[in-house]
Amino acid sequence: MQSANKPIPVRSAHLNRWPAWMDMAQGATGLILVLFMWTHMFLVSSILLGKDAMYFVARLFEGEPMLGKPYPILVSLFAVFILTLIVVHAVLALRKFPNSASQYRTLHQHLGNLKHADSSLWYVQVLTGFALFFLASVHLYQLITHPADIGPYASSDRVWSGRVWPLYLILLFVVELHAGIGIYRLVIKWGLFLGDNAKRNRKILHSIKWALTIFFIVLGLFTLGAYMKIGAEHADRVGERYVPSYHQTESNHQIQTDLQVESDADAESPASPH
Amino acid sequence: MKTIYTDALVIGGGLAGLRVAIGIRRRGHDVVVLSLVPPKRSHSAAAQGGMQASLGNSSMGQGDNEDVHFFDTVRGSDWGADQDVVRMFVNTAPKAVRELAAWGVPWNRVERGDHQSVIDGKNVTLTESEEAHGLITARNFGGTQKWRTSYVSDGTGHSMLYTMSNQAIAEDIPVHERMEAVALIHDGERCSGAVVRNLKTGELINYVAKSTCIATGGYGRLYRATTNAVINEGMGTAIALETGVAALGNMEAVQFHPTAIFPAGILVTEGCRGDGGLLLDVDGHRFMPDYEPGKKELASRDVVSRCMETHIASGKGVQSRFGEHLWLDIRLLGKKHIDTRLREVKEICNYFLGIEPADSLIPVRPAQHYSMGGVRTDFRGESPTLKGLFAAGESACWDMHGFNRLGGNSVAETVVAGMIVGEYMSDFLESSAGDITVSSALIRDAYNKQAKYMAGFGDRNRTENPLHIMREMQELMSANVAIFRNTERLSSAVEKLQQLAIRAQKISVRSSARGANPDLVAAYRVQKMIKLSLCVAQGALQREESRGAHFREDFPLRNDKDWLCRTLATWSEGATMPTLNYEPLHVNKMELPPGWRGYGVEDRVDHPDTAARQAEVDAVRAKFEGGDRFAAQEALMPYSDKLPEKLRRRNARLGEKGDTQ
Amino acid sequence: MSQNTKHEVSSLNTIPVKNVDGLRRLTINIFRHNPEDANSVPHMDSFVIEEADSMTLFIALNELRENQDPTLQFDFVCRAGICGSCAMLVNGRPTLACRTLTKDLPEVITLAPLPGFALIGDLSVDTGVWMRGMSERLQTWVHSQEERDFCEMEEKMEPELADKIYELERCIECGCCIAACGTAQMRPDFVGAVGINQLARFRLDPRDERTDADFYEVVGDENGVFGCMTLLGCDDMCPKSLPLAQQLAYMRRKMALAS
Ligand SMILES: Cc1cc2nc3c(=O)[nH]c(=O)nc-3n(C[C@H](O)[C@H](O)[C@H](O)COP(=O)(O)OP(=O)(O)OC[C@H]3O[C@@H](n4cnc5c(N)ncnc54)[C@H](O)[C@@H]3O)c2cc1C
Ligand code: HEM
Ligand code: HEM
Ligand code: SF4
Ligand code: F3S
Ligand code: FES
Repeated sequence: MQSANKPIPVRSAHLNRWPAWMDMAQGATGLILVLFMWTHMFLVSSILLGKDAMYFVARLFEGEPMLGKPYPILVSLFAVFILTLIVVHAVLALRKFPNSASQYRTLHQHLGNLKHADSSLWYVQVLTGFALFFLASVHLYQLITHPADIGPYASSDRVWSGRVWPLYLILLFVVELHAGIGIYRLVIKWGLFLGDNAKRNRKILHSIKWALTIFFIVLGLFTLGAYMKIGAEHADRVGERYVPSYHQTESNHQIQTDLQVESDADAESPASPH
Repeated sequence: MKTIYTDALVIGGGLAGLRVAIGIRRRGHDVVVLSLVPPKRSHSAAAQGGMQASLGNSSMGQGDNEDVHFFDTVRGSDWGADQDVVRMFVNTAPKAVRELAAWGVPWNRVERGDHQSVIDGKNVTLTESEEAHGLITARNFGGTQKWRTSYVSDGTGHSMLYTMSNQAIAEDIPVHERMEAVALIHDGERCSGAVVRNLKTGELINYVAKSTCIATGGYGRLYRATTNAVINEGMGTAIALETGVAALGNMEAVQFHPTAIFPAGILVTEGCRGDGGLLLDVDGHRFMPDYEPGKKELASRDVVSRCMETHIASGKGVQSRFGEHLWLDIRLLGKKHIDTRLREVKEICNYFLGIEPADSLIPVRPAQHYSMGGVRTDFRGESPTLKGLFAAGESACWDMHGFNRLGGNSVAETVVAGMIVGEYMSDFLESSAGDITVSSALIRDAYNKQAKYMAGFGDRNRTENPLHIMREMQELMSANVAIFRNTERLSSAVEKLQQLAIRAQKISVRSSARGANPDLVAAYRVQKMIKLSLCVAQGALQREESRGAHFREDFPLRNDKDWLCRTLATWSEGATMPTLNYEPLHVNKMELPPGWRGYGVEDRVDHPDTAARQAEVDAVRAKFEGGDRFAAQEALMPYSDKLPEKLRRRNARLGEKGDTQ
Repeated sequence: MSQNTKHEVSSLNTIPVKNVDGLRRLTINIFRHNPEDANSVPHMDSFVIEEADSMTLFIALNELRENQDPTLQFDFVCRAGICGSCAMLVNGRPTLACRTLTKDLPEVITLAPLPGFALIGDLSVDTGVWMRGMSERLQTWVHSQEERDFCEMEEKMEPELADKIYELERCIECGCCIAACGTAQMRPDFVGAVGINQLARFRLDPRDERTDADFYEVVGDENGVFGCMTLLGCDDMCPKSLPLAQQLAYMRRKMALAS
């Protein structure tokens, strides 16, 4: 005897699973959003490969290769889906925001004292998250309502003549910072890649995180530059839609062979209504 | 005037105090623990090296048992120990380790197969058996024949204390932190609790209890150079002394540890030497074999410390701006061993010395380390003169260490004492002796006396700074009542301490603000500390022999004829000096009659009864030769009726069956 | 003879303590407040002190109390970096004062009490009561129903596992991780890295018979493991270099699975 310990306490009948689920949902939505953002950046940057590439990508997402003809509604639906993710993510993340003036004060004082990179980065995440909520919504609203206006000329016109580039410029920095910090935090939160030397590996992860952020920001700047350049050059022809080079020959051929087909020279998408 | 009532009051939240409290709690009594600091910060947490218990699991521990542990401990004590208590201790220590194992201490374990180890400066391969794999392992410590020290890396005390403290939390034992007992409530016969000062608010509170236990640790801070925590000021011991009734035992028995880092005085564990570390001098010469060819670095602490000081005196110390020191070399143990088994040592070297012990030598010099003396109790842990007052752990002198404690025996003692004293305190509570009879007038008087005393420091005519007096006292003790003692230095120490005591009457406390008031704390503590210092110095002056850690240059031999006795110090109210009495140790009852320790000085003055007793012992041993060791022990010195019943049973070992229930 | 061989001393450090070139005059700004005293208002006091060789903040503060201001409150126990008493903000960051050498600090040093704990006075805070509360809430002890007889052989354990448990048990409850955690600063009920790490230690220990559901019960909420926002101040400032980020992740995974 003697070494008997205290009995295990009786557990209440069922666990409150919400905290775990909400935490996982926050991470999962964040993860999907980050992966989406990176993909999105690659897709949008297709403009750097030429207008045709960008045109192809845009049509791809309207389902043209699979469905035979483009359905911009797909873009709208997808944008709604992303917006939903953002809302879910934001609502969950909102729980973590300082929720009173005194908490803000405490936090500011704490961060000011500590001068600790990862803590300050979290604050950056809160601020960028907050900003994203508005900025991303504007962007998405635009896409949801005008899903067809995506293409080398349409996008460039929006960026330049539609004067959306300042929004994109800010959005770019904001979202890449948020995504980079977010994914770094997520990886550590769940203990991935920490290996047997967690301190060292965390430093490595930290560097990778910055490398990714910088990479995507640079890529984004070039991309934005490309849109702005095209937009500026195209400023006098706003509204004109791009005809990809392969379409130009193909459609020329079609016009010659099938005169019933309406000329699509002024529309990027044959189905786009205007 | 606030008063709290409880069955048992335990003063001290270290290993000893907490284990006592758990024992009492499990017997169904109310208990309150007091501590100067959160209990997990008690100095027990600082024990690095380990805890001795004869488990005999590892290959170098094979053949170990209670008997071997008993012999080592008695020899270590230089025959100053109470052998009954040592027997009780060695039988309980394995139980204590195993109980702690069940409670969660992650003792290092035996790993099957071959291992590289360093013994006596040479690399050797040790092979552990399949059968022992996963059992609690042990390391080597000074003064032992077997590798017997169970350990958790070099954070043994930390792990033990956290486990113990968590267990106390599990048992719902209230620990009143930052509460300092400043006086015992007693009527000259019976102790009924303590007057306590709240170190957060400055308020005085009465804790009235049927039984009170002092478990306040050592009094290392009487010295300037000490490995002890700053809270080890001996306050529990001092309030027992101030009753005028309870006695303190063997206060002059003060241990100096060979390897405190220089100059900070922070300990690096004996495990460093146990694991194979060496002591070197200014020339890089390993000098211990010159003095102690047998045990070398692993002779007992008193012996090694003296050799080091002698060696420094012979001009072989390393000069530095702070004075002289020697080197501890653990480079040969290798980085891996240091990183896993000596982590705290590594951290201490990194932070305080800015060195990497795997590459550099560690500057060391002996410093005060352990207080063998303390509140004198019987084997139950109860004061023979003040009923209802118990003591356990380093603050007690039930006397299992005599004049020198072996490394690893102290944390073992704290837990064992806790297990035993907890039972006896519970017995006391359940007996009619435990009935409480204290009058409220007595409580009020005790309270008022303290309140008045504290207020007195505010008097405008006072001028002395308590911290300056404390520093002078500490320097005095370190210079004159340390490793080498002689009449001249000791009597001058006594004289100067008395002068300090007079100056201490004039201590002024400059702030009267509410709250902890550190100035006031220093003021009342230093007055008590000077009393303890006087007990140590006067005891040392009168003891004209050398025994264990007490070494007199003018009386270099152990003298069993005249000094095989325990010093008892009491302090009558208003006195300026302690009253010393002596309590004999009986050679003809000893299981191990006095002899040579196996290291250190061989010459001695024998007790007239020693030879006869030795013959008796030899005869009994011959009779049981090769037979039942328990029967032989029983015939020599029966002790088991002194243990609480549940602790009497035998311990299982790999080759030996224990008593099951 | 091996006993008389000289041991190589050429590589050794001849002066154990780093020399400070030209000792400085340090200015130490200390947060002062005595909550017990109704007249006391929080403020900073400035002290000047001569730096000494291998001076730690332990030495410096005691010198100040001894010679300049006897009312100065602070907590030291072991003065060796092992008991966790002396954590405070040194120039804004939580650390153990006793093992902080002044030579590693600038000439002006600012000391403040650990935030997140009740103030006792000046630099002294009540971490003990906080930690006990945490322990009670999380039940940081081995829960086992088996009664082991301590006269019998102890239960075996893999050596490696024992090492792993000790690794997590090295926490000294200093409170630095609470002071370094923005979450804990904003939300006083958050158990912090100290609490979660301690539970991870018991989760790892086979002697503790609790299931993940039992652990979930005490730590599976916003005040527990799901409240941690991975700010990582804890991991970076733990004076014992405990693998806190890993333990937080470990418990999070286990608790997520348990849900
Ligand atoms: C650096 C160092 C290393 C050591 N290493 C080892 C080792 O490896 N092996 C070994 O066996 N031994 C070792 N020892 C010795 C051993 O650690 C101690 O002897 C033992 O831990 C003492 O335990 P304790 O419970 O008696 O007292 P402590 O742990 O000192 O506890 C004393 C308690 O009493 C409280 N207290 C004190 N005065 C009062 C008061 N007036 N009112 C209220 N409360 C009070 C304190 O707050 C504290 O809680 C070492 C000692 C030191 C200094
Ligand atoms: C379904 C969802 C989305 C679609 C289809 C989409 C599509 C596009 C397109 C086509 C562009 C090029 C410019 C333009 O046409 O206006 C663009 C640019 C951009 N988008 Fe999105 N987007 C989506 C969601 C998001 C979200 C959620 C974010 C950020 C939170 C975002 C951030 C950006 C940024 C920063 C740019 C500018 C990039 C640059 O040029 O550097 N997008 N997006
Ligand atoms: C639009 C509004 C958004 C807000 C308000 C927001 C806010 C936040 C906040 C405050 C956090 C920190 C949560 C925590 O520490 O527990 C966070 C985490 C995260 N965010 Fe966002 N965010 C938004 C959008 C996005 C977007 C668009 C992405 C993708 C690019 C994203 C990716 C992430 C990731 C990966 C995390 C880490 C998840 C975690 O720690 O569990 N967020 N977000
Ligand atoms: S986890 Fe580290 S920082 Fe936190 S209390 Fe423990 S030792 Fe201190
Ligand atoms: S700093 Fe705090 S938020 Fe989590 S990672 Fe550490 S506990
Ligand atoms: S005083 Fe113990 S850690 Fe600093």
